[in-house]
Amino acid sequence: MGEVNTSATADISFLLLIFFIVSTIFAEEQGLIMILPGKKREQDDVVRVRESNIATIRVNYDNSLTLDKKPVELNQIKNLVEARILANEKTVVVLETHPDAHYGRMVAVLDELKLANARKLTLKTGKR
Amino acid sequence: MAMDFGRSARKEPQIPTASMGDIVFLLLIFFMVTTVFRKETGLPVELPRAEAGEEAQRELLANIYIDRAGRISVDDRLVQVKHIRDIFRQKASENPLLIVAFKTDTNTPYGVVSDVMEELKEANAVRVLFQNDVEINPGVKY
Repeated sequence: MGEVNTSATADISFLLLIFFIVSTIFAEEQGLIMILPGKKREQDDVVRVRESNIATIRVNYDNSLTLDKKPVELNQIKNLVEARILANEKTVVVLETHPDAHYGRMVAVLDELKLANARKLTLKTGKR
Repeated sequence: MAMDFGRSARKEPQIPTASMGDIVFLLLIFFMVTTVFRKETGLPVELPRAEAGEEAQRELLANIYIDRAGRISVDDRLVQVKHIRDIFRQKASENPLLIVAFKTDTNTPYGVVSDVMEELKEANAVRVLFQNDVEINPGVKY
């Protein structure tokens, strides 16, 4: 009886296995998710917010930060915003970034805001 | 008793290897199934770091690479800001749950990102994700 020699299958499988182990990248994609406001809608869809409920964080052209025009450091933002939301749960955080500021700086601030559990969040681009 | 010892000493111990092929095959199938080959090379970017990043389903993502010089790459093609609207209107109509993943260099001027987002709003691709590096040492941030 002719029999197929299978002693090499393990070796072949091992080779393939090593190839796939080496080439596998496990999907690790993480990011900060935002929903943009979409196209300009009808006038009555526009949400009006009282100015006293707005906390504006600016990232200036030199990457310095201000909260309601007072200079702040990155590591203070989480606590300050948390306190603002605790004091007034209607607080809307506006993150206004200057076009010349670095993207990484804006993401760092956004990260702090997410950590501070700021749900009402708007992105705005500053004027040059 | 003594005879038994003698017999077993003469016989060489053996590890059964008959099932090794099966085990290797199982592992092989696992890795074949989980392997995802990189589809696009994009642009070299240094992603910003963040702690609050959420994981998103890979199938929903469409990538935009923006490097520090402000060059924009979609589907491995360099594109202008004005082309983004049409490209993403197409993508958003194919997949309404689309999430646009910004793979943007940390030193890119925000203005470029802002311009791209304006186009995305027009294209009705409103779910965006600012992709970050997975935090290795917390505290070291931009």
